[in-house]
Amino acid sequence: MIELVAITHAAAPPPPARLRAIPVGGLLAVVAPATEEEATAESLWRREELVEELMADCDLLPVRYGTRFADDEDAAQAVAARHATLAAALDHVRGAVEVSVRVIGAEPRATHAALSELARDAVERPVQPPQVLRGAYLVDRDMVDAFAARVAQLQAAQPGSQILCTGPWPPYSFSDRP
Amino acid sequence: MSTSLAEQDVALIDLVDRLLGGGVVIAGDITLAVADVDLVHVSLRALISSVAKLEEGGLE
Repeated sequence: MIELVAITHAAAPPPPARLRAIPVGGLLAVVAPATEEEATAESLWRREELVEELMADCDLLPVRYGTRFADDEDAAQAVAARHATLAAALDHVRGAVEVSVRVIGAEPRATHAALSELARDAVERPVQPPQVLRGAYLVDRDMVDAFAARVAQLQAAQPGSQILCTGPWPPYSFSDRP
Repeated sequence: MSTSLAEQDVALIDLVDRLLGGGVVIAGDITLAVADVDLVHVSLRALISSVAKLEEGGLE
């Protein structure tokens, strides 16, 4: 069994050790050996480190955790079946990373608008109190510092609020966008 | 500092959100061990308690 980890362009440099790239049209399906271990915080972080290592050198679409195939041929076939959609999604995230923001106790609409200004794309997720905003922002790599500065500015302007920002992440929330 | 501990908790929750709920869905066997469910529950509890901690201590 192999696990499909990410989709990259065929022009991407060779993946780090432990990962293998299977060419599918103009794309690469990046796979790792599947393990039988149960998911723990440690195993999830290990997986994340692999994807981030890959992301350091190229643009990619992360694949849903736990996506497994019997062999290379099966994986290639599944990727080929969605080739056009995947290529379009990869173009959409080219040169960008994802930043996560959770907001507690601040004005959600104004905060979202101020952050979206610096993002190429944005999605909002449902929230549960006390959170008032849970957003993912697709930010150009060279705009990440500006985005972080904007978060700090919004936090300073709204004392008593919490703006919890993490990233940069691989574009998990933008992998199915055109 | 309690703030940095809370930040780690938030990062773990964001990671769980993304790995288990994000990324491209491509046909294939999606296998998740039962332990995941516990992990998500633990993570959500961690966020709630982090938030409580932050609110108590303020975030100066």
